[in-house]
Amino acid sequence: MKQGPCSEEDCFSLLKQFEHILESDPLIDEVGFIHPSQFIMLDEEASSSNVYQNEVQPNNGTSRKFWNKDHKLGISTDILVQLCKYAKHVFLLALDEYKCHGNISCSPCTPESEVMKHSQAVLLLSSDFGTAWNARKLILSKKDQLSAFTEELRLSGLILSNSPKSESTWSHRRWIIKMISQRFSTPQEIITKESELVESIGERSKMNYRAWYHRCWLVSYMEIEQVIQELNKSKRWAGLHVADSSCFHYRRRLMLKILESLYVKGGNAYDKSEARKNWKEELDWNKELVERYVGREALWLHRRFLSLNWIMYFACNDSDVSPEPGESIIINEEIAIFIDNEIQLLESSMTVPDTKFEDFQAQALHAAVYMLWLTKKMPELWRMLEEKLGTEKVKCVMSTIALERPSLLHHLVNV
Amino acid sequence: MKITALLVLKCDPETPEPVILANVSDLSQFGKFSFYRSNFEEFIVFIARTVARRTPPGQRQSVKHEEYKVHAYNINGLCAVGFMDDHYPVRSAFSLLNQVLDVYQKDYGDTWRFENSSQPWPYLKEASDKFRDPAEADKLLKIQRELDETKIILHKTIDGVLARGEKLDSLVEKSSELSLASKMFYKQAKKTNSCCTLL
Repeated sequence: MKQGPCSEEDCFSLLKQFEHILESDPLIDEVGFIHPSQFIMLDEEASSSNVYQNEVQPNNGTSRKFWNKDHKLGISTDILVQLCKYAKHVFLLALDEYKCHGNISCSPCTPESEVMKHSQAVLLLSSDFGTAWNARKLILSKKDQLSAFTEELRLSGLILSNSPKSESTWSHRRWIIKMISQRFSTPQEIITKESELVESIGERSKMNYRAWYHRCWLVSYMEIEQVIQELNKSKRWAGLHVADSSCFHYRRRLMLKILESLYVKGGNAYDKSEARKNWKEELDWNKELVERYVGREALWLHRRFLSLNWIMYFACNDSDVSPEPGESIIINEEIAIFIDNEIQLLESSMTVPDTKFEDFQAQALHAAVYMLWLTKKMPELWRMLEEKLGTEKVKCVMSTIALERPSLLHHLVNV
Repeated sequence: MKITALLVLKCDPETPEPVILANVSDLSQFGKFSFYRSNFEEFIVFIARTVARRTPPGQRQSVKHEEYKVHAYNINGLCAVGFMDDHYPVRSAFSLLNQVLDVYQKDYGDTWRFENSSQPWPYLKEASDKFRDPAEADKLLKIQRELDETKIILHKTIDGVLARGEKLDSLVEKSSELSLASKMFYKQAKKTNSCCTLL
């Protein structure tokens, strides 16, 4: 494996090769950085009927640096650093040219197209290069065809295939969507596709907060019908990913939008009863999951949101006015029954049949914390807790928390 | 809920490295193509051996590694290892491993003690498909030995399984069974996962 700096000529030819591949295969949907030793193996793996080779054959003695088959592009890791540095350098020169002289040029390559070509190359190698993204924004903001923006979505999708956690890339996608919605209309389809993209990226790239944040951001562009569709579509995935707090956070964002719509419009009776039905379903489903998958904090956190809002907005005596925060909640019969059931759930969660897998202990802890959190939001709950469980059991609940999360206990108990 | 891989290994105190007797992996998450598929497969084998070697007979272990949980169950030198995601209940995972060991013993008796290479074993693929739903694994609980007093140890990181002073990074670096490409893949994966941490 050749090491050491490559000459300016070498870099130039590599960049040319790279940009040529990108141009000649606009359907590339995946980019990867691969070890030089993998080229042969990848050749073997790829469809044998597809004889298409990288057109620019390397000279004798030079090893291959790019692998391109079936719309996949691999870049050898041994040239990454030099290629990236060189591409940045060339991009900055092009940007200078564009800023100084505008888009006038005698050659067929306009400064604008040079900037776009080189910024694409740079960003595929180093996705967080802000200057490149901003240059593209500058040029794109002067375009008036939707296709320019959808093409940009394609490029950023390609970059995400290799850098799924790149914040600049996700942020750029939001910029594109904002531009589309300002200049054209926001077809629901774009938002749906974005949501699906996040789900597929979330599937293969775990703990991807930035992807999920992006999905939550999309909700502000959704109409209520789409919100409900999203809730239904993403339910199955959530049920299979019970340790993933982000996906339940996304559901809360969706449900919050439903809640908001009820009070902003002064929702009519039908809307509210639909929302009520959805809420009850979510509560029941969450309970099933909590009982089925023991000791999952994400599920209990989700229940906090569901329960509190159920009490405050749905179980309350019918009114179109949302309760003020801090206002005392009047415990009507429906609320009393609901709380009763929650206390029962707490009781059953506190039994720890065995300590081998830590799951039952975790369940007891999360249930205890959940209940304590509710009492902080609803001080009236304390009395009911003491009445139903008795002082001894309540002490047991508190000591469970004290053992595992003493600072949390301190925080929740003190006003 | 995913079972990414199931393996059966022979952990002989005579042989330094556990021998893989059967191995099945589900790499559908990578789609039809991935640059990293082969690296990932190599890694599964490497981690499975590393964990199995440090799971003495009569012990069960669970290790959290990257976004996976690796579960190992050793009964008298025959060790079943499962790579599941974080969502798959640990309890169900061990029911499944128990079942795998039971069926393996039924199919192969004690001949595995003299086996030195991996053979295709259809049951492993069936099990990997069937028990993808942990509810299926839980059904096994009723028919499995009630008295499963085998000790279980749960580790938060793979370094917890290793001996004092041993680190996974150095084991990877020194390993002769991992290709250069896979070693590089390991370093890249570490970097990608380090930007977000679980509290």
